[in-house]
Amino acid sequence: MSGENRDLRSGTIYQNKGEHPVGLMNHIVAVGDMKVGANGDTLVTHALGSCLGLMVYDPVARVGGLLHAMLPLSKINPQKASENPYMFVDTGVPELFRQLYEIGGQKARMVIKAAGCGQPLGNSEMFKIGERNYTVLKKLLWKNNLLLEAEDVGGVISRTVYFDLSNGQVVISSKGEKREL
Amino acid sequence: MKTQLLEMIRKDIGNFPGMPGAASKLLALLNNTETPLAEIEAILRYEPGLTANVLRLVNSAYFGISKKIGSVRQAVLLMGWKRLTQLVLASCVSAIMDKPVSGYDLVPGDLWRHAVAVAVASEGLAKLLNVGGVEEIFTAGLLHDVGKMVLGRFVEEHRVDMEVESYRERSFEQVEREIFGMDHAEVGALILSKWGLPEDLVLAVRYHHEPDKAPKPLSTVDIVHVADIVSLMIGIGVGREGLQYEVSNEVTSRLHLETRHIERIASETLQWVHAFTASMQPE
Repeated sequence: MSGENRDLRSGTIYQNKGEHPVGLMNHIVAVGDMKVGANGDTLVTHALGSCLGLMVYDPVARVGGLLHAMLPLSKINPQKASENPYMFVDTGVPELFRQLYEIGGQKARMVIKAAGCGQPLGNSEMFKIGERNYTVLKKLLWKNNLLLEAEDVGGVISRTVYFDLSNGQVVISSKGEKREL
Repeated sequence: MKTQLLEMIRKDIGNFPGMPGAASKLLALLNNTETPLAEIEAILRYEPGLTANVLRLVNSAYFGISKKIGSVRQAVLLMGWKRLTQLVLASCVSAIMDKPVSGYDLVPGDLWRHAVAVAVASEGLAKLLNVGGVEEIFTAGLLHDVGKMVLGRFVEEHRVDMEVESYRERSFEQVEREIFGMDHAEVGALILSKWGLPEDLVLAVRYHHEPDKAPKPLSTVDIVHVADIVSLMIGIGVGREGLQYEVSNEVTSRLHLETRHIERIASETLQWVHAFTASMQPE
C-alpha cells in the first residue's frame, strides 16, 4: 500500500490500474497553492492535515480548480496574503472562483467539494485550525449562495486528493485506502 | 513478544550510524565558554566537503546575512560558533535523515523537511513568545524524530495491530509503547545519548510528545512539542499516522500560547523551510 503512495507522490501516472483518476497530466498542488485546469488534467494534492482542500468543477465547461489553503483568515499575516492569497481560505477561495470564471466556468454550474480540515488529539481550542478553515469556507459559500456537494473533513488523518478534470471525479486517499467523494 | 521486540529495537539503536567525527569533535567543544576558533578551524580544515556544505547553509536566505560568507572564521565572527556548530551537525545528519522511512510512510526527504520545519518553527516560536535560554532549540527540533528511522520497520511490520479501532483515540507514541515497549521519542533519545549530545537535547527529544512527563519543565521541550504538531498540521512530513498526537494543555498555558501565535508561525514556516533547504542543493 505504502509503495503505491510513494509512486503516486512522485507524480507517476497509473495508466494500467484503473483505480485512480487518470489524466493526461498530473499537476501537483503544493501547500498554500492553487491550480486550475481543464479536461484531461488531474490535479493532485498531498498531506492535507488541518489544511483545507477545495475542489470546484464546472461539468459543462469541464474546467476545475483545486485549492490547498493553510489558514482561515489572511488578517493573521496580511503581507503573506498579498504575496500568496492561496495560503488563506478567505483570500484563496474567491481567487479560485475568479480564475475558473476566466476559463469559462459558470457559478450556477459549479460542483464544490471539500477535504482535509483535520486536527490533532486533545481538547485545545487553539489547535482547531482545521475546524476554523471549514467554518470560514462555509460562511463564504453561504454568503454567495453556494452549497457543498460533498465533504470528507475532520479527524486525525492526513489525506491525499486526486481530482480528475475530465469528469469531476474526486478520490480521497488515506492510509493506503481510496474512496470516491 | 514485547521483550523480544524491545531487544531487536535496542540492537538496531546500537547499529544506528554514529555521529560523524567532525561533528562529534565540535560538539565536545560546546562546554567551552570562550570561542574556540582555532580548534574549530583545525577540525574543519580536513573536511572540505563538509565545510562547503556548512558555508552554503550559512549563506542561506534563512539567516538573511547580506554579505557573502566565504570562510569558517568569518562565519564564527558573524553568527557565533555555537550557531556554526549547529549547522555542522545539520549538514552531517541531513544525509542520514534524507532517507525514506517505512511504517510512517515517509518518502525520501519527508523526514528531513519535517526536521527542518520543526527546527525553524521552534526558533520562530521562541522569538515570538520571547522565551530565552533555548540556544539549542534548533538542534532539538532537527533531531526530535530521529527515532522514527529505527522504529519505522517495526511499525511497518505491526501495522495491523497498531491500527485497530481501540487505538484510534490514543496518541500514536502511546500505541508504539503498548506494542513495542518503547516509542520513537525514547528511541531518538537513546540515539542522541549514544552520540554524546548534551542532556537538555536528549530530554527535548525524549519528551517531545509527552512534555508533562519530563523530570523538569523545559522550554525547549514545550516549544518543540508545539512546533512539531504545527508542522504536521500544515502537512510538512506528516506520515501515515497523520495528526494522531495529543496537544498538551499544560504546555499551551505554560507558554501563554494563543491562536494568533500558532497561526502566525504556521504562515511563516513553509518559507523558512524553503529558505534553509534550498541552499543545500549544490549549485
